[in-house]
Amino acid sequence: MRIKSAVSRRSILKGAGAGAAAVAFPTVLVPRKTRAAVQITVRDPGGPFEKAFGEGLYKPFNEKYKGQCEVVGVAGKHEPTSQVKAMVDTKTYTWDAALLSMAAHDALPGYLEPLELKGTAYDEIKAEYKTPTFSGNDVYCAVIGYRTDKVKKPPKSWTDFWNVKDFPGRRSLRKYPFDTIEEALMADGVPTNKVYPCDFDRAFKSLDKIKKDVAIWWDQGAQASQMLKTNEVDMLPCWNGRIQAVIDEGAPVAMEWNQNIAGVEGWTILKGTPRADWVRKFIAFAAEPKTQAGWVAHLTYGPTNPNAFKFIKPERAKLVGTFPEYQEKALLIDNAFWGKEKDKAIDQFNAWMLKG
Amino acid sequence: MTTVNQMRAIHGDKVYKARPNWHAGLPLIPVFVFLALLFFFPVIQLLTLSVQTKGELSGVHYMRLFESDVYIRSLLITLKVSFYTTLICVIAAYPLAYMLATASGQTRNSLILWVLMPFWTSFLVRTFAWLVLLGRNGPINKWLQGLGLLENPLEFFNMVGTMIGMVHALMPLAVMTMLSVMETIDANLPKAAATLGARGGQAFWRIYFPLSLPGLAAGGLLVFITALGFFITPTILGGGRIMMIAQLIIEQVEQLLNWGFAGAIALLLLLTALVIFYLYDRLLGMSTLSGSGSADRSAAGGGGGMIGRGGAYVGGIFINVIGWICDRFGELVEVVRPIRPDRPRKTMSRTIMWITGITMLVFLSAPSFFVIPVSFTEGGFLEWPPEGFGTRWYDLVFDSPTWRAAGIRSFSVGVISALLAMAISVPAAFVLTRHKLKGRTIYMSLLLSPLIIPRILIAVALFYSYAYVDKFLRIGLIGSSLGLVLGHAMLAVPYVVVTVMAVLKNYDYRLDQAAWSLGANKARTLWHITFPLIRAGLLAAFLFAFVTSFDELTIALFVSGGLATTLPKQMWDDALLKVSPGLAAASTLILIFVTSMIFLAEFLRRKASKS
Repeated sequence: MRIKSAVSRRSILKGAGAGAAAVAFPTVLVPRKTRAAVQITVRDPGGPFEKAFGEGLYKPFNEKYKGQCEVVGVAGKHEPTSQVKAMVDTKTYTWDAALLSMAAHDALPGYLEPLELKGTAYDEIKAEYKTPTFSGNDVYCAVIGYRTDKVKKPPKSWTDFWNVKDFPGRRSLRKYPFDTIEEALMADGVPTNKVYPCDFDRAFKSLDKIKKDVAIWWDQGAQASQMLKTNEVDMLPCWNGRIQAVIDEGAPVAMEWNQNIAGVEGWTILKGTPRADWVRKFIAFAAEPKTQAGWVAHLTYGPTNPNAFKFIKPERAKLVGTFPEYQEKALLIDNAFWGKEKDKAIDQFNAWMLKG
Repeated sequence: MTTVNQMRAIHGDKVYKARPNWHAGLPLIPVFVFLALLFFFPVIQLLTLSVQTKGELSGVHYMRLFESDVYIRSLLITLKVSFYTTLICVIAAYPLAYMLATASGQTRNSLILWVLMPFWTSFLVRTFAWLVLLGRNGPINKWLQGLGLLENPLEFFNMVGTMIGMVHALMPLAVMTMLSVMETIDANLPKAAATLGARGGQAFWRIYFPLSLPGLAAGGLLVFITALGFFITPTILGGGRIMMIAQLIIEQVEQLLNWGFAGAIALLLLLTALVIFYLYDRLLGMSTLSGSGSADRSAAGGGGGMIGRGGAYVGGIFINVIGWICDRFGELVEVVRPIRPDRPRKTMSRTIMWITGITMLVFLSAPSFFVIPVSFTEGGFLEWPPEGFGTRWYDLVFDSPTWRAAGIRSFSVGVISALLAMAISVPAAFVLTRHKLKGRTIYMSLLLSPLIIPRILIAVALFYSYAYVDKFLRIGLIGSSLGLVLGHAMLAVPYVVVTVMAVLKNYDYRLDQAAWSLGANKARTLWHITFPLIRAGLLAAFLFAFVTSFDELTIALFVSGGLATTLPKQMWDDALLKVSPGLAAASTLILIFVTSMIFLAEFLRRKASKS
């Protein structure tokens, strides 16, 4: 009897296992279906972008070209240079286009298709936000975020941020040379138009002065917003969209736009994709002022087409980095400089961090 | 009787004989073919970039490693962090595993659920939970201040925070490996020692402890190697001052697109890890794991050779001394508080063990118990105490088809890849434990290497190989779950091999021989004798393999290109601006789901065994 029951128990388990596998497999292996004649896949940063672009960009595009072309946004790695390189090298176009930072774009010479978008809304985009292979889409700015309940005298510049005596408060900086080097130079009195080419020696000397007062070096953007919300630190530099996420929760937090460091993300086409023609139509559509205004309603990054402000509510316009008043105070990241010096900067920065 | 006779007639009187080497090694073939296709070949191709600059052979990348001290220092930090993590994990996990192994079946099963809790909270949620718990305004500091123990908040975000985060993440690995070995130890052996006059200390340290060593060795090894690849947790919880080498490699791969130099750093890490593995094998006896020299195995194990024997000798003395100290201490206590027949004897060591064990359980489950209430917050951040009460974040997760699809995919990919990893790795573990193969250390090193090479490099290498295969065979590995299953199974191989080897170490081979002598064939023996006896180890191995896949982000991001969303990827995307309580809600749902699955399985098993 015992043996029999043991056998039946096993057969139950086996049956259950086979059943589970049978249920699981179809969901695992079934490929995605395409509804339109052409489907283009574009990489975006995901998360909050999924909703903002989904509503403001993909949906109107798909409505306009109904039946002919459908755009699908997928989230890739945060800085997907290696993914783009791998896809183009192997001609495996999982993505046809990608939203890349200008820095990532510069790291991929020869991997991106010329846009050839003259005569479209691409022409309206500010010159500094585009190249022949890059159509600027949104501007993000590193600003000073601080707790208004703890910081009685808010820092108005990087010099103030570095001045721990007159502007007391627990501080955090980004554990990465980009932004941090520029901040150190501005703190040391370098005017925004003289920051590039960066004098690394001067920057590290300036960083030496604040090193012992940096309570935490943050690594992930989400970590920075979390630390402002729970008041782990009182002030830190971070991108405006992330600080906005804290302010939107009603936390006593504000940001200082003076000397903000502006970076730009834009649309690029993966070299050799067979669907480049439709991607061009998509990028031209994305450059239109109405489209840009559409997603600004969900995401506080700055539109690159100045005409977009005609369609953005005034109070919303004040939250984005390309608002004219903020743009005047901004330092636009010089990607040509970083392209050459990135290696050296990362090595030196890491060595400096490790130095006791 | 007739059955037995019939069986004999069919199988003949089989007598076990050591087979020649080439035959014995056959079960190693599937796992090595699998690894060759999915790991060695792709990764070596990528690593050849490290000896090239602009297509020509050169050692520039390797020279650069030593030009500044950044890479060596970071390597040392990585080794230090991994070493301390391992040490703490092993020391803290042992009493807990012992407590579980000696507890009654029912208690043990419910306590194991607590041990496993860190597994079901994604690494992202876990790390952010600690970020809040250990924060300046976090509950721990607030309570300590409230109790008047502290004036200023404690600063945790340094080495302390890193250790807390890492030990928490890796301890289940150590506990489960040790427990699966302890379950194979015959509880009568320490009793037998006692009847021969050994006091508690001697019986434990000279009998039980040496028998449990394979679990200790395997657990320590898995924790150490896994720790080498950590970077997000130590960076965030270390306040940014702990620079792990995995992060330097990622910077090279992603920011600088310098895959050659990334390969050079990875190779430096791999070689260092293999040297450590070799020393560990010689000195502490990885052979406690692979079972060489079982005839003359001394208390501390120890492989052949001078170093091994020396290590074993020292280890033996060490164990005797500890046993002696424990017993003298016990005698001392008895002088103060003599044993009386009217009072049942409660040994002090048991009390200590339970206190340590329960403390560890509280530590392991703390972030989960933080995550559950936080998931019901009305606010938009993880915070303590949570603001208000609502199910807003559950609605978000439930209403989203992406979350649902990600959940289904993660579970299916996890189960299938774990089964695949088991199918190819378990035979290899049998061969490596049972046969004196030549070059076993080399086989072991090769099997462990998928854990040491940083995931980002594996992901890049896999992408190129998959793309190549897709071109010729039109399978569609990229962007599909099949590609994920294969990649995850490959990552799980080392866990399965090491865990199963550890349980097999104590396995009494004569039981198999007894079964054969009674006429059972090999398959029946395996199914009815061997597998049931090492059940705990097989379950642990399956669990590790499943969790490896379930919490894996890099390959999921890279190989899927964003098309096939898994839970870790969905969480990562969602955490771009902030880690929302939505992630806590998802984690809570996973916790509830997994726990109820385990309960259900346990219930069915009990019901089946009763009938």
